[in-house]
Amino acid sequence: MKLLTIDDSRTIRRVISDIGTTLGYEVLEAENGRMALDVLTESGQEIGLILLDWNMPGMNGLEVLQTVKGDARWQHIPVMMVTTEGEKEYIVKSIQAGAAHYLTKPFTQEDMAARIMETLGMGGA
Amino acid sequence: MEENNSASESSHVSPEEAAIKLIDGLQTAVIQVLTTMAMEDVKYTGREEVANLTLRQEVGGLIRLYGGASEGMVGLASSRTVVAEIVSRIVGLPPDSLDQEDLLDGIAELANMVCGSMKSKAQVGYQVSLSPPVAIIGRDYTARWKTLNPTWVLKFLIDGSEFEVYASF
Repeated sequence: MKLLTIDDSRTIRRVISDIGTTLGYEVLEAENGRMALDVLTESGQEIGLILLDWNMPGMNGLEVLQTVKGDARWQHIPVMMVTTEGEKEYIVKSIQAGAAHYLTKPFTQEDMAARIMETLGMGGA
Repeated sequence: MEENNSASESSHVSPEEAAIKLIDGLQTAVIQVLTTMAMEDVKYTGREEVANLTLRQEVGGLIRLYGGASEGMVGLASSRTVVAEIVSRIVGLPPDSLDQEDLLDGIAELANMVCGSMKSKAQVGYQVSLSPPVAIIGRDYTARWKTLNPTWVLKFLIDGSEFEVYASF
């Protein structure tokens, strides 16, 4: 199983990639929505979790989420929003669009690892 | 980013009240972001009102705020050494292995997290949106935002080195 982190910040992609790798997963990276859809088209059947930023150039995270959840090939993949947007309306919009979890930045490595495990149904926080 | 200024626009928070909430939120947010992501020892040493928002330190990150009664700017500024140390701790790589692109991305993401956390904490009662961050690195630059808004500099010490956060609302 692979994880896909979608974030325009390579700092954040590195952090998430390190955590995912430590948990034993291969982590794919995309720096915007368009690249993410390309990765999903190529490797979607191997991806078990998407970690998705909200504020990105081009498609924002909500648009990416709606695209993923509207496509029969990918709609089964759980999506965790990982974003600086901590206000309730963003969380509600994400959950309504099909996000499984919502984690605000900043986050500790322990929090992120626990949320990944929890979203994948492997226990955690 | 989506706009939603209608929900609580009528909550009658004056620009002055909003500015105080944002400044207080900013102070808390800087410490939270740096301690959570970089495990840095951060001390707040005070704030002072200044004539204008001018960044002169070697690395800077700027984000504009807009929406509702707020229009403003937040700028993070510090030395290359301090920013490299912070980014190093976040990504788990030695400071001397980081290139300019790493520092640009790192200060931009720090500004993004600080401002996102600030507006969540401030709860000004209306939607505040953030521009994409602008990151600057250079030994000899001056970046200034012209505004009539009051401007403050919040001062922090990170492991004994200065880290400044400018805010104008």
